Amino acid sequence: MPTFYLNDQPVEFQPGETILKAGLRAGTEIPHYCYHPGLAITAQCRQCLVEVTDMGNGRGMPKLQTSCSTPAADKMKVSSVSEKAHWGQALVNEFLLVNHPLDCPICDQAGECDLQNYAFRYGSGHSEMEYEKRTYGWRNVGSFIMLERNRCVQCSRCERFSRDIVGTHDFGAFLRSHELTFDTWEDSEMTHKFQGNLADLCPVGAITSRDWRFKKRAWKLHKTPTVCTACSTGCNINLEHHENRVYRIKPRVNAEVNRWWMCDEGRLSYPVLNNRRERLLEPQARVKGELQAASWDAIYPALAQRLKQIGASGAQVLGLVDTHATNEELYLFKQLLADGFGSDPVYFPHRPGTQQEHPPRYLTEPFIYTLITTDKSPNTAGALKAGLAGDPDDKRLKAALRAGPKVVLILGTPFANDMAVREAVSRADLIVSIATHQGGWAELADVVLPAHTVAERAGTVLNKDERLQRIAPALEAPEGTRPQVRILAELAQALGKGRPYADAPAVFDAMGQQDGPFKGLRWEAIGPLGLPLGAAKAAKASA
Amino acid sequence: MAQETLLLLKNMRTPGYTGDLSAYQKAGGSKAWEKVLGGMKPAQVIEAVKASALRGRGGAGFPCGMKWSFMPPLGAKPHYLVCNADESEPGTFKDHLLMLADPHQFLEGMMIGCFSMHSHHGYIYIRGESQHAIRRVQGAIDELYKAKLLGRNIRGSGFDLDLTVHPGAGAYICGEETAMLDSLEGKRGQPRSKPPFPAQSGFNACPTTVNNVETLANVPFILTQGPEAFAKLGRPNNTGTQCISISGHVAKPGVYEVEMGHNLKSLIYEYAGGIRGGKKLKAVIPGGASAGILRADEVDLPYDFDSLAKAGTMRGSGAIMVFDEDTDVVRLAERTIRFFNHESCGQCTPCREGTFWVKNMIRQFMDDAGDGVLAERIHRAAGQMIGTTICAFGDAVGGPMQAFVRKFPEEFAKHYAS
Repeated sequence: MPTFYLNDQPVEFQPGETILKAGLRAGTEIPHYCYHPGLAITAQCRQCLVEVTDMGNGRGMPKLQTSCSTPAADKMKVSSVSEKAHWGQALVNEFLLVNHPLDCPICDQAGECDLQNYAFRYGSGHSEMEYEKRTYGWRNVGSFIMLERNRCVQCSRCERFSRDIVGTHDFGAFLRSHELTFDTWEDSEMTHKFQGNLADLCPVGAITSRDWRFKKRAWKLHKTPTVCTACSTGCNINLEHHENRVYRIKPRVNAEVNRWWMCDEGRLSYPVLNNRRERLLEPQARVKGELQAASWDAIYPALAQRLKQIGASGAQVLGLVDTHATNEELYLFKQLLADGFGSDPVYFPHRPGTQQEHPPRYLTEPFIYTLITTDKSPNTAGALKAGLAGDPDDKRLKAALRAGPKVVLILGTPFANDMAVREAVSRADLIVSIATHQGGWAELADVVLPAHTVAERAGTVLNKDERLQRIAPALEAPEGTRPQVRILAELAQALGKGRPYADAPAVFDAMGQQDGPFKGLRWEAIGPLGLPLGAAKAAKASA
Repeated sequence: MAQETLLLLKNMRTPGYTGDLSAYQKAGGSKAWEKVLGGMKPAQVIEAVKASALRGRGGAGFPCGMKWSFMPPLGAKPHYLVCNADESEPGTFKDHLLMLADPHQFLEGMMIGCFSMHSHHGYIYIRGESQHAIRRVQGAIDELYKAKLLGRNIRGSGFDLDLTVHPGAGAYICGEETAMLDSLEGKRGQPRSKPPFPAQSGFNACPTTVNNVETLANVPFILTQGPEAFAKLGRPNNTGTQCISISGHVAKPGVYEVEMGHNLKSLIYEYAGGIRGGKKLKAVIPGGASAGILRADEVDLPYDFDSLAKAGTMRGSGAIMVFDEDTDVVRLAERTIRFFNHESCGQCTPCREGTFWVKNMIRQFMDDAGDGVLAERIHRAAGQMIGTTICAFGDAVGGPMQAFVRKFPEEFAKHYAS
């Protein structure tokens, strides 16, 4: 591979690759605003100026070059830290502050602002600009974002995103010179579902999230890499939280799944994770028609005894699960039903997902529109792989319900709003609900086992393209609740079946040792970016 | 009055010349176009222009023949020649004259250029304010179609050519060739980052050459009289004649045609009639507002690309602005930066913010509140615009601003805070 030298360090590059791209990949930080790997190159912010001392032919370039637009060449010598390069980077920084309001104390971007970071690095600490700055008002420009144009560095990322990625052309350049401003067209408010990406793209606080406004300083947030569970795409995300509260969801780059983007539905899917008011906080059992608190130690033997009393088996025991359950939970739940009662299959609501949003016809690469599906759960593919019974019209379930099950075990909130199912289930002798919040099946159940939300537990899910991805716990679960895999393992043991599992990874590794969709896989092998199931299988076969 | 060397202005200096096609042909026009159609090869045309050493008259002075030879061999994409008739550099008005008084001359050059670069469609980008020039050039093109010198299979040569006049919307930056191409495509006129150069990817991402009106107007002469006749005029590497726009405090402002390398002082005193009212000369801006100012004692030098570059300024578009002893150079600087600040497209940070900041600093001098530190700050901020932007606009502001401060410190000192 050809090699060029960046600050005397050899950097390999693909032919055609720019200095900035190759440099960033090699871990050299070169300051930049307008460059973004997902957008067209304009080289207009000039922040990434570098000195090319040798073009690879022994001759240097007299002017500083923008590293974002200058292709690397074999044996080229480039410096991003020379005196001249620093002069260029510092002057751009100085000019950018000429009309910047310096309102960091009230700006949501502070702490994760490129302008702030570069000003610390290159700024002189005092301003020689002693005149009135040009100012604009702020306003909401979309359902998700607001625009504060005084902070803008005119990098035009918003314009290029609107034009090339969503194709809605919401943002355009208005006026020129120091009055140049990127704005939406008059009297229009954005309604598309990808606005949050504009807030991510904006390197400063010009476009910020309305939902996040004034809620938390960015530097206080902890980031937990996980996967969005708001639909079957499974965009890679960081769950950003502080003091056991989620404040926002941001996309995490995964070239195979969501690239740099995610939708606003996903971003706004976090409030339920903070809902402690309606949370189930302790096991409950129905005594004389009233749900009463019980301890975990007492509830398993009592439940086992009641099940023995009823003595139901086979089709008399019905298992219902929703596709928010992880692969490990589906596996344990299926086993519990099969080994404990000889009941098979387990039923789940199968709602095949289709693309929800539709791109403008003239958009050449409508990738981003494939991100939202109508299947608002993360693991439908996992349920199908696990061999659970899911008919889009629930035919098999209806037949099972007509038989009049005596015992119903329910994980999550499957069919909770289906009145026909509810009515049939309510006639059972015993209903066991494993759930996180009140409502759903918990109010109808005879035994309620409080479990963990998606932000509190680990597990794997299979997205619409059968890519295996891990969800990770970010928050501490309330005392008194237990993770689903533990509850299911303990239930099986109370019935004298199954074996104990330490945690979800242990369950997954056990699955990997058996025949099934995950045969041969290990938890550790999945990695932070997930693993396409087909590719994993193919790699295994060739090895 | 000193004698002009008439080449481009020859027809219009003839009394009674109307500029119509018949008048143009009667004066010997259209011969070059017929010669080219009569069997010349495109490469031969380019060779002739190369041999003439004709340099672009728009401002940068790039050798025209070399520019034409950069066009790739004809591929799947059409080629375009675009004539830059935006002429927005302050002080420049010679293209205007060429379009109004003798439109067929530069159109003939343009048609020859199209032929040599396999272009079957040429655009003439005229600034929108110049309605009369737009009408005049459009009228001339209509005449050419009527005379079957434009259109399908011209004079049986098998060559097709259309010319279209495109009015701009009035922005200085649209005189920059890539901004002009963006504007021509219907976009916001903003210079493009190069490479790719227009010869690879220009108008509609097709190979494109952009030439100034005056440059193209020279082409018929080169083809009829021979490149040697052209190269004989002027000085080595600065050949031919040039149309100079002289304005400001001179007795006879106007367009004068002289050989390249003619003495600047002579242009002012012998052609433009000297300083009006018998006043003394204070300063000259020799190449449009983008050129650095010269003091009165610096103007005795040959007026061509290389000599002025050596003097630390530039020939630019050949626009000489003359200022007498009563001129307040700080006010002149303020007017200049006000223009550049207004016309910056705004995409590059240094130019967008730098013009605004420098304008404010010079205004502080206008308020008699300047000092030496501020003057140095102007010089520093101006320097930060040079060579750091996508197009040459940054250099075009930074250079002149630095020149104002360095060449006329005493003028700035008059505006120090007391």
